[in-house]
Amino acid sequence: MATAKRRAQGKNAGGPQKRTKELPKVSTGIAGLDLVLGGGLPAGRVTLLSGGPGSGKSMIGLQCLLQGAADGRPGILVMFEERAAAMRQNAASLGWEMTRLEKKNRLYLMDARLDPEAVISGEFSIKGLLAILDQRIKAMRAKLILIDAADALLHLYDSPLRERRELYALHEWLLDRGLTAIMTVKTVPQEEAPSRYAFLDFMADCVIHVDQRVTAQLTTRRLRVIKYRGSGYGRNEYPFIIDESGINIIPITSSVLQHRPPGPKMSSGQAWLDDLLGGGFKSGTSILLAGTAGAGKTTMACAFARAAGLRGERVLYLNFEESAESMVSNMLSPGLPLQPLIQTGKLAIRSYLPEAMGVEEHLFHALKDLDEIQPQHVIVDAISACKRMGSEQAAFEYLMRVLNVCKERGVTCIYINQTAGLDIVAEISGIGISSIIDTIILLRHLPIGGAVARQLIVMKSRGSKHSEQFHEFRITDRGIDLVKT
Amino acid sequence: MKARKRERRREAKPVRETHIFRLFVAGNESNSSQARRNLARICEEHIKGRHKIEVVDVLKDVSSAHKNRVLVTPTLILIKPLPKVIVLGNLNDTEQVLAALRLNGDER
Repeated sequence: MATAKRRAQGKNAGGPQKRTKELPKVSTGIAGLDLVLGGGLPAGRVTLLSGGPGSGKSMIGLQCLLQGAADGRPGILVMFEERAAAMRQNAASLGWEMTRLEKKNRLYLMDARLDPEAVISGEFSIKGLLAILDQRIKAMRAKLILIDAADALLHLYDSPLRERRELYALHEWLLDRGLTAIMTVKTVPQEEAPSRYAFLDFMADCVIHVDQRVTAQLTTRRLRVIKYRGSGYGRNEYPFIIDESGINIIPITSSVLQHRPPGPKMSSGQAWLDDLLGGGFKSGTSILLAGTAGAGKTTMACAFARAAGLRGERVLYLNFEESAESMVSNMLSPGLPLQPLIQTGKLAIRSYLPEAMGVEEHLFHALKDLDEIQPQHVIVDAISACKRMGSEQAAFEYLMRVLNVCKERGVTCIYINQTAGLDIVAEISGIGISSIIDTIILLRHLPIGGAVARQLIVMKSRGSKHSEQFHEFRITDRGIDLVKT
Repeated sequence: MKARKRERRREAKPVRETHIFRLFVAGNESNSSQARRNLARICEEHIKGRHKIEVVDVLKDVSSAHKNRVLVTPTLILIKPLPKVIVLGNLNDTEQVLAALRLNGDER
């Protein structure tokens, strides 16, 4: 009876509502995942976390459970496959100490592995387990339950019909107790057993799939919400990483572009360049400095950074080409002392080796730097080096996400791109991101007579007038000067 | 190793020892009732007068279920003679149950 009523309510909640009240949700304890889920897991409902072995599904479930327990929502962990000791280790790797929560009666570990020597003869049910759980739920007023490796339970049953019946009973049991439940299920490569889990997908109110793949020798983990009854959710695949601070998901490519409008104009660091740009760069926009090696891209970016620092603004310089020390000493030659700005906290240079980690980790570091430094401007030197994070696609993802975050926060984003050939115009687009760049400045070397001249042209400057000619410039020990012709 | 040990024990004390069973059930659900009937019949036919059956209802005695790690019902545990045997299910397959409890061949 109660179930029928609840289902009717569920239907209403999941119906064609537009602005009606969203269903109650429980935070996952993972900020990025809460964003993707529009607030968290459905409270009092069942969420299915599926994925292959090693995909991180148990870790996500564990993080939700432990964070909940720490926040005053006691939880039970039912383990059908792993030993308690292994789970404790998993928790420790996420920075949690289970015993402390257990002592406070906020967490209970239930080892539900069946004796492997037990003989199975005829039908049975999991009433024993449920009776034990019922007692614990009452004793600790549990609100959350994580059923890890629910598939191991399914393997006990010899027919799909019984599997379904037992699962259905378990589902009803969970709903009747008002528990917010997470079930992890190991999935096999799709073709093998789709029907087996199709039923599970149907039963759960929220289905999340995680996987782990290796592309270009770098491992990436991804998460995707397959369905969420009665709620909106982010529909993309979201990369995530697991480290000692827990699970980090970076849901940057959100469905809505919430870019801020460009801010006021500001100096590029050279008065003559400001003139060419019709008054300077607009703050909070994206700028691409493209050109051949040695054309003066880094110098130009540093001149900007210095000018910004002297105005009292903060700049984050993400360097994939050289160390902070070597950059600082190199910039002394064109008369751009950066050390004083670093000391006053106006400039932060972070050097990363592109191939040292996958794109998710790079992104994670970039976002961490952005949060820590809270800069008004970000410089990425160079996007051409980002390909070494794995692939062109990886570089594109990284740059798009960094750019989006900057635009959402109203941070100016300067990308430096090193082009190799002479046909610069074809190359300049820089991993296909040029369409979303507001201002493009092209720098080049040109042999004139016995010497090499540096030239610059403003190729694009969205929303403002700009010069359309090549201009010759020179790098001196006092900065970058326009050569008057 | 284990198998050989088991063998020896059986030869030493063949059939005379009393069989002690503990059967965990969940109230009167049909599988539990079937298991009770099946066990009673098997004992009657094969080890008449030499058995003890203790029935535990997990819905009433949760701590005993917990202590014995009984997760599914019905669960039958052969406590004596050793080694311990665990059989899950309603015990409908008599041949299989007899083999598991080492009762096949005793009377034949």
